[in-house]
Amino acid sequence: MSEEVAWKRSISDVNSGILVGIDKPAPTYYLALAFSVLCLVIGAAAWINQIYHGMGMAGLNSPVYWGVYITNFVFWVGIGHAGTLISAILFLFRAKWRNSINRSAEAMTVFAVITAGLFPLIHVGRIWFAAYWMLPLPNTNGLWINFRSPLIWDVFAISTYLTVSLLFWYMGLVPDLASIRDRVKGFRRLVYGFMSFGWTGSIRQWHHYETGYALLAALATPLVLSVHSIVSWDFSMAMQPGWHTTIFPPYFVAGAILSGCAMVYSLVVPLRKMFQLEEFIRKEHLEALIKLTLLTSTIVSYSYGVEFFIAWYSGNHYEWVIFLKRATGPYAFYFWTMVACNCVFPVAFWSKKIRTHIPTAFVITVLVNVGMWFERYNIIVSSLVEDFIPGSWGHYQPSWTEIAITLGSFGWFFTWLLIFCRFFPLVSMSELKLIMPKPLRGKAKKGEAHG
Amino acid sequence: MSKAGSEPQKTMKKASKDQDSFYVDAEERLETLRGPKEEEAVSAALLPSVHRRDFMKLFSVGAAASAAACVRRPAEKIIPYASQPIDYTPGKPFHYATTCGGCAAGCGMMVKTRDGRPTKIEGNKEHPLNRGGMCALGQAEIQGLYHPERLDGPMQRTGAAWQKTEWQKALKTIAAKLKTSKKVGIITRGSTGSRHKFFREVLVRLGAKESNLYTWEANALYSTVGRAHKLAFGHETIPRYRFSKAEVVVAIGSDFLVSGLSPVEHSKDFARRRGSTRRSYLAQFESHTTLTGAKADDRYVIPPGFELTVALLLLRSLYENQASKGSSSTRSEIEKILAEHREKLEKAYAQLNFSRNDFDALATKVLAKPTIIIAGSGANFDSNASLLQLAVILCNELAGSYGETLHIDNMWVNSPVRSGDLKRFVADAPDLDALFVIDTDPVFSAPSQWQVKEAIARIATVVSIQPFPVDTGKLAHFALPSHHNLEAWGDEHPNAGLWSLRQPTVRPTRHSWQAEDIMLWLLAYVDKPLPFKNYHAYLQRQMEAVYDLVKPSIPFPVFMKVVQRTGFTLKLTKRSRSFVTSVSKYFSKLKEPASGLVLMTYLDHRLVDGRGAHLPVLQEIGDALTSIAWDTWVALNPHTMHKMGIRRNELLTIKGPGGVVEAAAYPLPGLHPNSVVIPRGNGHTDDRSTISNNNGVNPLAAIGYDLDPLTEEPVSSGQRVSIATTKRWHRLAAMQKADDDLQGRNDIIKTMSLDRLQHKKRLKKSLDDVPDLFPKLESAQYRWGMSVDLDKCSGCGACMAACAIENNIPQVGREQILMGREMHWIRLDRYFRKDLNEPEISVQPVMCQQCNHAPCEAVCPVLATTHDPEGINSMTYNRCVGTRYCANACPYKVRRFNWWTYRWGEIGNKERDRNPRPTNPDVTVRTKGVMEKCSFCLQRLHEVKNKAKLAKRHVYDGEVKTACQQTCPMDAIKFGNLNDSTSLITKKRSDPRAYLVLGGEPEHGHYGLKTLPNVNYLAKISLKEVASEHGEDKHGGGH
Repeated sequence: MSEEVAWKRSISDVNSGILVGIDKPAPTYYLALAFSVLCLVIGAAAWINQIYHGMGMAGLNSPVYWGVYITNFVFWVGIGHAGTLISAILFLFRAKWRNSINRSAEAMTVFAVITAGLFPLIHVGRIWFAAYWMLPLPNTNGLWINFRSPLIWDVFAISTYLTVSLLFWYMGLVPDLASIRDRVKGFRRLVYGFMSFGWTGSIRQWHHYETGYALLAALATPLVLSVHSIVSWDFSMAMQPGWHTTIFPPYFVAGAILSGCAMVYSLVVPLRKMFQLEEFIRKEHLEALIKLTLLTSTIVSYSYGVEFFIAWYSGNHYEWVIFLKRATGPYAFYFWTMVACNCVFPVAFWSKKIRTHIPTAFVITVLVNVGMWFERYNIIVSSLVEDFIPGSWGHYQPSWTEIAITLGSFGWFFTWLLIFCRFFPLVSMSELKLIMPKPLRGKAKKGEAHG
Repeated sequence: MSKAGSEPQKTMKKASKDQDSFYVDAEERLETLRGPKEEEAVSAALLPSVHRRDFMKLFSVGAAASAAACVRRPAEKIIPYASQPIDYTPGKPFHYATTCGGCAAGCGMMVKTRDGRPTKIEGNKEHPLNRGGMCALGQAEIQGLYHPERLDGPMQRTGAAWQKTEWQKALKTIAAKLKTSKKVGIITRGSTGSRHKFFREVLVRLGAKESNLYTWEANALYSTVGRAHKLAFGHETIPRYRFSKAEVVVAIGSDFLVSGLSPVEHSKDFARRRGSTRRSYLAQFESHTTLTGAKADDRYVIPPGFELTVALLLLRSLYENQASKGSSSTRSEIEKILAEHREKLEKAYAQLNFSRNDFDALATKVLAKPTIIIAGSGANFDSNASLLQLAVILCNELAGSYGETLHIDNMWVNSPVRSGDLKRFVADAPDLDALFVIDTDPVFSAPSQWQVKEAIARIATVVSIQPFPVDTGKLAHFALPSHHNLEAWGDEHPNAGLWSLRQPTVRPTRHSWQAEDIMLWLLAYVDKPLPFKNYHAYLQRQMEAVYDLVKPSIPFPVFMKVVQRTGFTLKLTKRSRSFVTSVSKYFSKLKEPASGLVLMTYLDHRLVDGRGAHLPVLQEIGDALTSIAWDTWVALNPHTMHKMGIRRNELLTIKGPGGVVEAAAYPLPGLHPNSVVIPRGNGHTDDRSTISNNNGVNPLAAIGYDLDPLTEEPVSSGQRVSIATTKRWHRLAAMQKADDDLQGRNDIIKTMSLDRLQHKKRLKKSLDDVPDLFPKLESAQYRWGMSVDLDKCSGCGACMAACAIENNIPQVGREQILMGREMHWIRLDRYFRKDLNEPEISVQPVMCQQCNHAPCEAVCPVLATTHDPEGINSMTYNRCVGTRYCANACPYKVRRFNWWTYRWGEIGNKERDRNPRPTNPDVTVRTKGVMEKCSFCLQRLHEVKNKAKLAKRHVYDGEVKTACQQTCPMDAIKFGNLNDSTSLITKKRSDPRAYLVLGGEPEHGHYGLKTLPNVNYLAKISLKEVASEHGEDKHGGGH
């Protein structure tokens, strides 16, 4: 794909061009950071208040014991998918267009998974015990965890994923950190020097780096598929109609990639503006991302269809009633929002014009993320409100605490992301150089641009 | 499983139209009744408000402090014995036998006390009336004892201000007033014991007339039944109903199972003829949907006020039947009555939409077998109430019930009240100088048009002696706290030859005095003392008379000890019975029933006339038919609502002859289109208690002044009203939400026809014989199981109250119930079926099903819920972190989560000094963030197992009783060891009616969810054919 990229700059512009934002961020950056911190503070306040008073602060009830918190958990885990997909799987597939966006995608992954990891803690009734009782720590009481519980699998899946993503992301950063080290002076030089582990850029180091990077990519690849499969088991292992279905793992993974790609797009568009990276993250790269979004949207649409079909075809009465009510009952709004955002709007991406028109595509990717949030909300809430025994059915509506904490989670995510942008290069300089035209041969034939 | 669901789409369509399918709310059949969306949703305003200051404080201290801010209970000192009594082991409970004071029925109870404090009330299983059963009101008495809003010492009022005073000072002041006056009156509640006699003696001693004792019970059944028997037989008594002997029961507007003359006794008796092939037939004629009506085999909806007409039509058919009994004088009386009303009765068939043949057929049924015809409940205390009883007496005479199923010649029931006292009181009040209001609340429980309030307000000195503050007390000049029923001495003489003793079970918890002792002190202060040290001494004297009657072969002190130990004493008493006077003349007083919309107020079975309104557990268990807790609703026929354009939860003004009341509408299937039904009990606007204050309305405000001509008791029903909408909304805290629909799920409630039951001796296949991949069940010594008989369960809610008190379950209040956060470990699900006008009603208690293959156990990450070797699914509260995954996984939705720490000081959002819930020391009190659920009363199980272990034996069958089982007035719940092939529970599990909820239809090879619960249900029995028995299985498939 990179063959078709109309580069205007060459690799000699990379370091100075990308690091300009680090040296002197735009005023919008501070505005965005302040807003993120504000959201974070609101969310934190709501959480502390909830810990103090009890889970009753949430709108949860019997039978809807899970609500917005678990929705957010699945949503953020889903967001955290695209990063590793883009950096690891596309790396292995040698899709070169990824080189311009993989850093931001990985950063997003790390912060999204950290955000997601908060939600089980926010969600549990007794956080002061949950934090360590969920881990298999040997103790004098002989208490152990339940390996049959999908929640325990979650703990392992998420923590493994976070560890590997973190390593992968940091490893990619090392050469760039060294580049910064070489540019700055004084204390900053010391810090960047420390963080770059004495990278000198020797052939030997590059050799080890490339091998290690490839190995980590291979290690991360199965995790991309496993994490969301395991998250989906939280639902499909329970007997709840609407949850208890084998389609969930692939369906969740497809959904996660969809939301992840859409999120990368919605993040990169404003960030490239803010840090003046238009020359390095090109329209063509963004279009490739949109194509991936379109693909996964199609898979997700297919999954919705199959899910409905199986609910009917299985002859399982409970399942079918839930599905019918999803589409026609009191929660139909969420269902149709989900369908519209995830299946209908992305259809517009078949048109090259829309695909390449950045503002329109930006709006649609934001809508896709709204739709993906609603998908999880829909799965969780509409299955719980009406299950087996009609005598105990109920309603659910999020409380202001849940809304504030959701807002806070965005604040938390963006605060980290913006802090990251301030001190680290948002585009992988070393990898970008691989796909950009070389200065001396810059105006030569296009096909030779990558060495 | 796929076989049955091959056409799910069709099933769906069918279910929505099929009149035979179950439904939970009337809205499913009549869309227009549905309230607006905003009303259905939980508004943000309902979320508990956090005090602003609280919030600020929290954030000034910051996050670190929040962990330290965990709430601990206030420290209380425990002082050990200096020298411990030799027969006492700390922590080991004592049981005291005493007599319930909830209503006038006089059930025996056993109070479990530990370290001097009562913790639980249970029915006395030896007591001849309730035989171990206890209603919700009786269970809740323990909350009354510890209620924080009881007065702690006497209060005196000057002007509008109340101030605390000293006992002796208060008594001296009152005595000074009594010295100058002889016009003293006492108004008190109904009682069959020595109380009334004592008060009469006090009055005489004070120089007043004996007749200045006025008795008042809002339950007019006592007076109407008593007066009718007085007119017919010459004795003001109530017959003893023996439902266990009756094969046919015809109830005419009666709710005898939950709120009649003696609900627990009647339930116990009636239940013996339910749930087997020797089942009795119950026909109910009613214009209001009652829980008794829900149990009827044939339920006929009649227009309000037509109970008497129905009784007369039945009387006519009985009279004209060759097989009818009755002496010639009785028959000639009946002849006269029927002749007088012939025209009216001819017309009545059409009005009631019955044919004469229907009644003839019923008469034939009645005459063929031992019968009870019973009539009347709170909903029809209209001006014909006593005539109805009189007509029913005649019916019973013709049916030959007296002497067979009804007894007024031996062990008859004493009437706790003298009828017409309230009218006398209102008439006499202007002449009274002083009035003692003892343990009654006429201002609240009598219709306001009777001007009781005004009458009392005019009296110079009013002394209110109450165990708990009441609305009447506000008019008093002195409010003196009397002992709670559990702290007091007393007795009841419910039946001839049955004396039931009341003894203190605890040292007074407040600075209260026994009401009778207050009177003795007053007599002493006015220098006219009675020769008794205290009421206990007086009671001893009364018991001496009983001793002389009973003539036991033991000396009196030993006899007293025996009575205290057993709680009662018996002596068979007989008298002759003769039908004396002519009764036909009274029937000229028959009044035409009101036309148009008719208001019926009835005594709620939990709160009665309001005496239970301050007890949160009673408010919280809710009404089984509407599932509404903490409120007053106006029940209307769904079609009537549809026609008038009224929707659920719409606030209505009900304008009656007495005034206007405002309540939210609830569509209740089974009501006559003209019925406007409002429960009594709530609507206290006074400072009685923060629990009852501003909670609901008192419908008596709409009732105009009218009286029953025979008893002169106030009429509280049967008046024409008009309804108007206010266009405002009030969400009723219904625990079952609208939109529920069984959708053809027929493994939740099952019904079996009697015909089939007779041919099916046992289950073809064991319920435990479910093919699956799980390992076989472990064979331990015990495997605990429970069985719930749906043919018996009446939905009275006693199990819920007993469970809440036994297991320290908090009451959460109206707002939290609206959020769907009730904490009941055992809940009552209610389903309707068939037509909205004539529904079949099913009530189903649901507790943790203790699944052997429990979906909840697999999903808990921290192993907080695990299976014990005896089949119980146990919760480890300490280990729970509150992921709530188990509750999601539970298909029965029986798990409850502690959304807050339900503190000692709070009920829902109402702040208290101290929670009126007494805590059972055997059961952990849960804090916020922890899941909880029914434990099969594990603590009781352990107690018995320990006992058995010490005695080196196994637990006997029936030795362990769970709290719900113990209290169940219908004996619907059984518990025992499933691994003992001879146990009762094993028999119940292999009963032909046995099934597992969500267990599919094993006989057709469908096993549903295969959770294999240890709780099984026994199907309802239907006299009619049951469609699903013909191989039609449109069931819900399994996974």
